[in-house]
Amino acid sequence: MVVRHDVLVVGAGLAGMRAALAAQAAGADVAIISKVYPVRSHSNAAQGGINAALAPDDSWESHAYDTVKGSDYLGDQDAIEILAREAPQAILELEHMGVVFNRDEEGRLGSRNFGGASHARTYFVGDFTGQAILHVLYEQLVHSGIRAYNEYFCTELLRDADGAVSGVTAFDMRSGEVSAFSAGAVVLCTGGMGRVFEPSTNALICTGDGTALAYRAGTALMDMEMVQFHPTTLKSNGALISESARGEGGYLLNRDGERFMRTTAPNAMELASRDVVSRAAQVEINEGRGVDGCVLLDVRHLGAAKIMERLPQIRELALEFAGADMIDAPVPVLPGMHYEMGGIRTDVQGATPLAGLYAAGECACVSVHGGNRLGANSLLETVVFGRRAGEAAAAFARSRPAQPAPESSRADAERALRALVARGGHERSAKLRLEMGQVMTRRVGVFRDDAGLREAERTLVGLRERYADVEIQDKGTLFNQALVAALELDFMLDLARCVVAGALARTESRGAHTRVDHPRRDDATWLKHTLCLATPDGPRVDTAPVSITRWQPQERKY
Amino acid sequence: MEVHLRVQRFHPQVDAEPHWQEYRVEVPEHATVLDALLAARDEQDETLTLRCSCRSHICGSCVMKVNGTSCLGCKTKVSHARKRLAAGEPIRVAPAGNLPVVKDLAVDLEVFFGKVKAIEPYLQPDGPPPEREYLVPNEAMLTVREAMACILCGCCVSECNSLEVEPRFLGPAALAKAWRFTEDPRDAADRHRLEFVSAPGGIWDCTHCFACVEVCPKDVKPMERILELRRRAMEAGFTDNNGARHSQAFADTIAESGWLDETRVLSRSLRGLPELLEWAPVGMRALLRGKMPLRHRRLSGAKQIRAIFAAAQRRSGEPPREHAPGR
Amino acid sequence: MKVAYYPGCVAKGGAPELYRSVKLILEPLGIEPTELFDAACTGAGVLTERNPLLADALNARTFAMAERRDMPVLTICSTCTGTMLACNARLQDEGNRARVNELLAPERYTYNGTTVIKHLLWMLVEDVGLERVAQLVKRPLRGLRAAPFYGCYLIRPSSLVGDEHPDRDLYLERLISTLGAEPVKYEGARKCCGFPVITMNRAAGLRMTGRNIQDAKEHGADLMVTPCPLCHLNLDGQQAEASQALGTPLGVPILHLPQLIALAFGHSPAEVGLGHHVVPAQGPLGRLLQAAAAGAS
Repeated sequence: MVVRHDVLVVGAGLAGMRAALAAQAAGADVAIISKVYPVRSHSNAAQGGINAALAPDDSWESHAYDTVKGSDYLGDQDAIEILAREAPQAILELEHMGVVFNRDEEGRLGSRNFGGASHARTYFVGDFTGQAILHVLYEQLVHSGIRAYNEYFCTELLRDADGAVSGVTAFDMRSGEVSAFSAGAVVLCTGGMGRVFEPSTNALICTGDGTALAYRAGTALMDMEMVQFHPTTLKSNGALISESARGEGGYLLNRDGERFMRTTAPNAMELASRDVVSRAAQVEINEGRGVDGCVLLDVRHLGAAKIMERLPQIRELALEFAGADMIDAPVPVLPGMHYEMGGIRTDVQGATPLAGLYAAGECACVSVHGGNRLGANSLLETVVFGRRAGEAAAAFARSRPAQPAPESSRADAERALRALVARGGHERSAKLRLEMGQVMTRRVGVFRDDAGLREAERTLVGLRERYADVEIQDKGTLFNQALVAALELDFMLDLARCVVAGALARTESRGAHTRVDHPRRDDATWLKHTLCLATPDGPRVDTAPVSITRWQPQERKY
Repeated sequence: MEVHLRVQRFHPQVDAEPHWQEYRVEVPEHATVLDALLAARDEQDETLTLRCSCRSHICGSCVMKVNGTSCLGCKTKVSHARKRLAAGEPIRVAPAGNLPVVKDLAVDLEVFFGKVKAIEPYLQPDGPPPEREYLVPNEAMLTVREAMACILCGCCVSECNSLEVEPRFLGPAALAKAWRFTEDPRDAADRHRLEFVSAPGGIWDCTHCFACVEVCPKDVKPMERILELRRRAMEAGFTDNNGARHSQAFADTIAESGWLDETRVLSRSLRGLPELLEWAPVGMRALLRGKMPLRHRRLSGAKQIRAIFAAAQRRSGEPPREHAPGR
Repeated sequence: MKVAYYPGCVAKGGAPELYRSVKLILEPLGIEPTELFDAACTGAGVLTERNPLLADALNARTFAMAERRDMPVLTICSTCTGTMLACNARLQDEGNRARVNELLAPERYTYNGTTVIKHLLWMLVEDVGLERVAQLVKRPLRGLRAAPFYGCYLIRPSSLVGDEHPDRDLYLERLISTLGAEPVKYEGARKCCGFPVITMNRAAGLRMTGRNIQDAKEHGADLMVTPCPLCHLNLDGQQAEASQALGTPLGVPILHLPQLIALAFGHSPAEVGLGHHVVPAQGPLGRLLQAAAAGAS
């Protein structure tokens, strides 16, 4: 099959669907291609909410400042200004589409507190905000009639004679049929890459496919070392306990029942930014003041009624996987890999330096999160920059209509896949993935140092060699998930190298990146982004300046 | 702990029939059935095909039947799945019901999503949106949220007794979605929606078996949404169908005599002579076997019952109906 | 044990054999019934879906009758049971109860929310005890393969039915074993009989009926036994049409639960009213019973 559209969006989470709707509204013929049905996307898992300075006593400047400070001054302030300015309209749009946001007594949108924010500006739907928005965007996608290629896996970005991105090759996971999709512009919205780590709060589909596709096509990945560890995940399976538990007033306690955040963040306490809370929790655990390798999250004082109304899903998860009913017991939690702040470098229109290639959402790095993302800013990023990328892609596609992809690109992709499936070997991708994830967590986790990072790098080089010996047991074409797993691992091995390369290069501690051998923030040397560019020998690290508009770096206190 | 699984396998290009395959895997105590399946796939057999993603019952990918009951594999603990098994009996895992199998535990979702799309699952407000948000009470949003909690996993569809015999049925998930819009004060397409769901394949094809309520991992209670849609559809005047006629006839005989007059309810529910004739053999047999009372007498408490009936109707705003005198 | 006996409409209408066979077994089981002759139809869920307040009010009147006598309500129909349980659950809320009591006041009823509703099957297992039932068996139904068919309302939703008794969806099998018969294991046991859609989508209803009977038959059932007379109306009364709809012969006798018990207690097929059945049960059952009696003596 050879397919042609003006704009091709890869990924059908919040960013992807928002981009597709925007591109269509801008007059483009749009298609969306995704390895899962849209409602299965990981945007579902965002529990807490979405930020906007909507209240009369709040201001976009305050939201922007909180975000800049939260980012540890690594966020690009031009992008952050756009994020904060466009947030109210973005949320109102979602409300108009049908999102069932909680209300106040007057029937207006009601908000809650969230970490790192100076106002209660997080708008929410119980504790399943991501799901509620994702499903409403899906409703809009159905309404739009936009063509959706569900359960298609992209293998490569196509380039035209001028080097511009002109489509993708992908295969229908169900049938195995390989197709070339040509497009005037491609928007990558493929989400996070949590599976590079083990454990991670991320879904199994979060394998950074789009990030790796862009990297291989020669565009830069920015600030990949900035990996967010969420302070409250469950020990048994790494599941996330949303920040809304603390936003609603939950405490973090150590073995002695002390609210240990008192020493680290006397004002914000449990609602300091995530990097700060995760480090404090990890210190408690490392220094023996934890309980069974965890600290305790306690919401008992909120009372059963509030827990049931505002945190029902969280309670259910804790009950299922920690065996603790939050109504009458604290839940043991620990920091766990949660979010990748870095990603495909884009400008504020979502454009990458490669003509025809756009990106938005977690796979992109625009950068609004810098060294540390504030809770409830990620959903916001997806809709604000998803829309901008969709509009920009539509405009670009108007100036450069899609050329039919040559049949050879389709045939080449098919041949490569067949060879991969046919080859013999002694390794299994699941085993390699696990080894990668474990070394990443052990050596590239909350606390890092040069020796550990070098060990991780050596392990990753070894895993890349062993990857050549991976055999795919399933030799068929029909729904070959073993093939998909191998391709995902291939992508992730590249991305893991970039995370380590960035972490090795950045000899300072900023945001989520803590080098115990370089414990201070070093603005003189490192108030800049790291960039990873693909070379045959692995990533080459470069740097780029940070955009500073009005907020000069200061020491962060919460 | 060791888990013994018995998984239904099917590869349409290789197998004539589905067959069972057994796996024994080592998993932690808290493991879910999905964890055990992933252990089997990752450690023993990469060809085992199943959809899954979030592992925390929010994405809706891993619908399957465990020991014959539809569920999300990631929400079903191994310890729970074992509860009613005899010692040494494996946990049985099969694909979702009422959907064609693509391969192993993966089913075809096109029809499923097609039905969701059929109910026009998007807000249809009256006119352009306000400058700010729509002003609506939080209670209304909390009510709509009960159905918005649906993750479209298909557990309800997999378990639906009506779908087993009536493939046209829109099914619990799509109808719960329809309910979500009729309950939303921002949506203005109520009449259109209620008319659509009143047609064959809609609300009146639900057989009231509670199976969807029982298996829904998000407590959406789809059947209860369907029953509410019935009430709203009847209130909106969509009563020219056997379901609404049955409901009215049922209420009428209770109001009149205090209890059910089966024969009368049946004859008043049907549409015209052809349908009545279809039922004639059933009636004849019942008559011959002494199963059709020739005279329906009123309960001695019928007057009291009628008074309470009328009072309840007045209180709930249901228009009282002129009851025809007894036959 | 004194109970407020609520036979329900079908036992007094289309299934006289049910009413008759219940009469045969209550006394030996030590159950003293006071029949609520005046109680209204539960509405069978149909009234609830039209107007929940109305259904709650009519059922609250019945509950109040039992409460006055300080007796639990004994039901013999899955649908009556489930409908009553749902109303009773709503009536545990004081606001709901006050609203309903206001409607009952002119008729001099008040319901305080204390009535317990029990299907005969539950009472046998939970109150009478299966040991006592076993002692009353004069003619163990050995060699008889009986397929249980619950009726949805008796097992779902489990939040309402099985909260305190999580095994209620296994009682029928246990009782069948107690009577000396062999319970047939098949998927259809807990499915819908098709009755609720029979007037709305007859073809679908009949296919549902037929598939369950076929399932039981394929698993070797000599007969099916149900605690719900509405299921019986379909499984027995429309088995011929269900067979046509499926294009396969069926011919499986369907017994009401109390009939099976009465037969095991030594009563004759005529006493339990097998003559009322549409699918002849007397012939095949008679032979089995003779064999059972011979085996018991």
